Amino acid sequence: MNPPPPLVVEDLTFRYRDRGSPSISSISFELPAGHLLLLAGSSGCGKTTLARCINGLIPRSYKGELSGRILLHGQNAAGWPLARISQLVGTVLQDPERQILGTRVLNEVAFGLENLGLPRVEILERVDRAVEHLGISALRDRETHNLSGGEKQKVALAGVLAMRPSLLILDEPLASLDPASAQEALALVRRLIDEGMSVLMIEHRVEDVLRIHPDQVMFMSEGRVRYQGPVAGLEHAVDYREVKLPAEMVIARAAQEPQAQFPSPAIRRSLGLARPPLVQFEGVRFGYDAADSVLHDINLEIRPGEVIAVLGPNGAGKTTLVKHAIGLLKPTAGRVLVQGRDTHELSVAQVASTLGYVFQSPSHMLFAPTVREELAFGPTNLGHTPDLIQQEVQEALKIVNLTGLEADPPLALSFGQQKRVSIAAILAMRSRILVMDEPTAGQDFRNYMSFMDSILAMPGFEAVLFITHDVDLAVVYATRVLLVSQGRIAADGPPEEVLADTGLLTRCRLVPTSLLHANLERLPRTGRFVRAEALARV
Amino acid sequence: MLVTWRYRKRRSLVQSFDPRAWIIFYLCFMGVTISFWDVRILAILFGLSLGIVISSGLTWRETRRAWLFIGGFIIYFSLFTFLTGRGGMEFYTEEHVIRNVQASFTLFGWRPVLHITVERIFYALSMLVRVFSLASMTILIPYSFNPAQYGVTFRGLGLPDKIAYAMDLTMRFVPTYARDFQITMDAQRARGYEIEKLRGGLLAQVRKLAPLIVPVTIQAIAGSEDIIDAMDLRAFGIQPRTWLEELHYRPRDRALIVAGVGCFLFSLALSIYGVGTFWVPEALKSLPLL
Repeated sequence: MNPPPPLVVEDLTFRYRDRGSPSISSISFELPAGHLLLLAGSSGCGKTTLARCINGLIPRSYKGELSGRILLHGQNAAGWPLARISQLVGTVLQDPERQILGTRVLNEVAFGLENLGLPRVEILERVDRAVEHLGISALRDRETHNLSGGEKQKVALAGVLAMRPSLLILDEPLASLDPASAQEALALVRRLIDEGMSVLMIEHRVEDVLRIHPDQVMFMSEGRVRYQGPVAGLEHAVDYREVKLPAEMVIARAAQEPQAQFPSPAIRRSLGLARPPLVQFEGVRFGYDAADSVLHDINLEIRPGEVIAVLGPNGAGKTTLVKHAIGLLKPTAGRVLVQGRDTHELSVAQVASTLGYVFQSPSHMLFAPTVREELAFGPTNLGHTPDLIQQEVQEALKIVNLTGLEADPPLALSFGQQKRVSIAAILAMRSRILVMDEPTAGQDFRNYMSFMDSILAMPGFEAVLFITHDVDLAVVYATRVLLVSQGRIAADGPPEEVLADTGLLTRCRLVPTSLLHANLERLPRTGRFVRAEALARV
Repeated sequence: MLVTWRYRKRRSLVQSFDPRAWIIFYLCFMGVTISFWDVRILAILFGLSLGIVISSGLTWRETRRAWLFIGGFIIYFSLFTFLTGRGGMEFYTEEHVIRNVQASFTLFGWRPVLHITVERIFYALSMLVRVFSLASMTILIPYSFNPAQYGVTFRGLGLPDKIAYAMDLTMRFVPTYARDFQITMDAQRARGYEIEKLRGGLLAQVRKLAPLIVPVTIQAIAGSEDIIDAMDLRAFGIQPRTWLEELHYRPRDRALIVAGVGCFLFSLALSIYGVGTFWVPEALKSLPLL
């Protein structure tokens, strides 16, 4: 007789105590040993709730009404203590920064084993095996704080594997990784599966996961399973606007649908060519200490009408570069001119009227009791008059489509609305250039595409610059790409030129995507890069 | 970088002992020091703490800021006590004047007088030496103890697992929160916020710090859910845990604890019998009374 599968979920429904309706309803599936199940769906579809039910956090840490059964290796796990579940089900959460608990890699990997009260000798042996297995033995005695994002993710995985689970739940493991690190992480997961591990991977970047050939795909929306089966059926079952599918799949689907209209960008390149540059970098060099230089000899100009994508791997110097433009950092050699004035002579506040910087997470900046006060904060700091501020706030609210929410507390809004408030806060200062750090972070595919569409359609900014490691975002939206690698500009030009050099991309730890390939193939006919849906008409 | 760890492995007297033994010795030293007001005994204790600092392998460069900050603070308060003469009133009933210095100006018809007395000088001196010995021993701690051993040290001192691990977690998340703080600071500066321009009373200033405090707090609260999940998922707090880091008392550690506790008990006994109270040289007591 075959052994029972590591995971069977039967008719699972769960409602959080403080919510009116269930977050997941009637979910049933089976995950055999050595299989990869990809679970996709947009934010709030119930993916994480399902994961919490399987790993035991529900109902132990999150209370509510649970019905249905979860069988681990054929046994009903209801009523098991977390210590027992954690030895069968390992979970790696989205943000490695918050789940690494040890100051050193050794302590981090040993954490779960220490909690199980195992003898020291066994803990050390298991830790050594886990780090060796993932090829990170060299990190064993390093401090966790100094690791890169990819290394942190591997250390978190090692900490889970050391507990020797037979089922692994990975909750958006790629979210904070650059493309090359994401690929390495995926290859590692594939190896574990081939060795017999069962993996449930939650990810809305479906395209990336398809590279490691999931055995099954499950697509959820509004707490229910909409599709469950082989990858091949995904194309027809899933809305390509909700999860990121490979470009060819999207093209095939879009060709059968009526032609879609996309908002046209409000920024017009032709307007800016004759006008003086807004920002100039002249031989900029920067280092936090004399021996260690982060930026080397940067020369560039930002002109009105440009939509610039700053691409590059984690740690390449992208953020440091942008912080120079907004005056948060001053070059150690060379100079940065903002509207002709050297940033050495300007305060950050003075630069803010030209460049507005929106940080990755809105919760890093939102603080005021009402949206109105939040938006008035910037202009007040810049010394605008109360009448002008009122006008600026109203205009900004209108542009980001949040009129009517003036009196609401920004921190009580949804994540997407908070992102809009953070953009409006910059708009209200009448900054001429919008600078965004990872604008898509923390949002699912549908949300971030509509977010980018609406930002570029907004009147008010003369140029937009965004930092990203999502190549497709540059393909679809940028008119110019700055490729940063090891503190230097590795390439600067239109996306059709810079991104065509796939060798250069690989050297900069970026991975050419299916959308890029599809665009490159059709470039002689299109003349420029466009989104996948538009390629369907070529 | 906002946070850099002060701890390094050094060849030093402090680090040659088990951290638990040192913490016990440190607490005893504190106890001994606060048992006395006699500047002669305090000077010996100060000499001892200075010796320990010198043997700790710390350089002036790495500790300069800590010394200047704490030193400035102590000197300021000792001087303040001396000038007002309000500090040691409970120790002496009469004061012997060395000199009375009259101010050359008057305030609303009152001419301030500074009485330089033997008692005030010796009180300020005792306070200075006393606090400096405590500070010297305290400054050593972050430089000498491995943050990775904080948890096991406190566990070894008898605190429960959960509280002891909280020490480890604090050390782990200090850099994370420092990074969040830096990001928020940058985000608000990019909106024209200038922390240098804080004005107004204390309450108004605190209110003006809201753009920093609110986001950092929200981030910390939001992040803590993940931290708790990560701990629960790896079976934290379900049963008594093994601590990977091991600490073993050696004879020298036991000797240090015995010496520390012995000295403390002895000092306690002495102070109960009134030995080591506030002292001024007999010879100076012939000076005129205030």
